[in-house]
Amino acid sequence: MSFAVITQTLLEGFLITILIFIITLVFAIPLGLIVSFGSMSRIVPLRWLTRTFVWIIRGTPLILQVIIVFYGPGLIWGWTAFPRLEAVLIAFVINYAAYFSEIYRSGIESIPRGQYEAAQVLGMTKAQIFFKVILLQVIKRIVPPMANEIITLVKDTSLARVIAVREIIMEAEDFIKSAAIIWPLFYTGVFYLLFCGILTLLFNYLERRLSYFKV
Amino acid sequence: MSILEVKNLKKSFGLSIVLENISFSLDKGESLAIIGSSGSGKTTLLRCLNFLEIPDAGTINVGSETIFDGNNPATLPDKEIRKRRLHFGLVFQSFNLFPQYTALKNITLACELLAKERSDYKENRKSIIADIEKKARTLMDQVGLSGKLDFYPHQLSGGQQQRVAIARALALNPDILCFDEPTSALDPELTGEVLKVIKSLADKRMTMVIVTHEMQFAREVSDKVLFIDNGIIVEYGTPEEIFVNPREERTKQFLERYSG
Ligand SMILES: Nc1ncnc2c1ncn2[C@@H]1O[C@H](COP(=O)(O)OP(=O)(O)OP(=O)(O)O)[C@@H](O)[C@H]1O
Ligand SMILES: [Mg+2]
Repeated sequence: MSFAVITQTLLEGFLITILIFIITLVFAIPLGLIVSFGSMSRIVPLRWLTRTFVWIIRGTPLILQVIIVFYGPGLIWGWTAFPRLEAVLIAFVINYAAYFSEIYRSGIESIPRGQYEAAQVLGMTKAQIFFKVILLQVIKRIVPPMANEIITLVKDTSLARVIAVREIIMEAEDFIKSAAIIWPLFYTGVFYLLFCGILTLLFNYLERRLSYFKV
Repeated sequence: MSILEVKNLKKSFGLSIVLENISFSLDKGESLAIIGSSGSGKTTLLRCLNFLEIPDAGTINVGSETIFDGNNPATLPDKEIRKRRLHFGLVFQSFNLFPQYTALKNITLACELLAKERSDYKENRKSIIADIEKKARTLMDQVGLSGKLDFYPHQLSGGQQQRVAIARALALNPDILCFDEPTSALDPELTGEVLKVIKSLADKRMTMVIVTHEMQFAREVSDKVLFIDNGIIVEYGTPEEIFVNPREERTKQFLERYSG
């Protein structure tokens, strides 16, 4: 089994890894915002419902959620199951939206009331207050916890293999069975480290860009 | 002619009555000092004037316009509240500058946003923006900070931040500028520079309502003094009447404690 062939195979698995990563972010980042608004809503039942939902999602393992999304609809209602990759994506988007929503919520709630009031007495509209005064301060506050969560997501993608989505670790593990070699598994670590390294640089850059002011 | 007239203002939070029967008036160019012990309702009164709280009863008139009428408490649309509150400016105890903007931008931001509502904004955008900035520079000069235009709030001392906050409030040309203990959050050596700016505004006959614990300053700067205790006006008069010849026992006790 040549190095080139193994690299090629792992790269294919890594593409799936990256696909899960990107799709999850693209959907979970905005969905999390909607969820966070729900959990801060003045409508009590909505707030209660949203917070319960977030509590359940954050309080149970992602791997369980993946399994349930894949097998649940078929076994409970007799539907045709989602394709494997879709099932993973659905579970990941919901799970990460719940985590992100809590980060957004604590970010928004940490902005002192005086910021809103100062903007109000200066005659700003609600939209102006949010977009011109509050938003950037929230972004600055949530970059570090979001960075943590997003790095965790990179590694969580490996859970997809529980329903046989061929991400990089699954590809590497197959070499143990087919060729009795373990080094491809170590090799996957290189992919993760590189990817997380790049992300870390990106987040450091973002933090530096926002360091011109203090909140 | 009085520019501000407050009549029988009342405000409670739940069951506790925080302000009751508050009535006073203020002529254009006068400064009113509001004194009183902690929890007496001074901040709540300023917040009512600025529509940060809605009073339960009473009226507030600015000039000939009734901006709040407790007998007819129709819930106003947001736009109308924004318009009415612009009669007032408010300087907070904790400055509340916007941290992501420079001192200059803190001053111009609200003016620029308001200018967008002008019908001639599109045609004259450049000159409108230029005017706003010019005015902001003048104000920064007035508060003695012409060298700090591009500083961010965290790069300024508390006293400097508060002076920017005063300039920010002035930029919208309020009829009445309110201060809520503008020096309480400052180190003692920084209060002087802020009081000096407020004094200079009084000398220019800016109409002001100043909540303060600085009795000496209140006496120097104000035309009228209002002593409030437990949400009720105990005594209202000229600085001489209140500070030199207080009639009420409660006023005397309060002044004794504070001149301490
Ligand atoms: N949002 C609120 N909800 C309930 N009670 C409030 C609220 N705001 C103020 N109060 C109460 O109203 C009373 C007056 O408060 P206020 O802040 O107006 O006093 P103050 O005269 O400004 O005091 P200080 O000198 O300490 O600033 C206090 O008893 C306070 O606990
Ligand atoms: Mg107060």
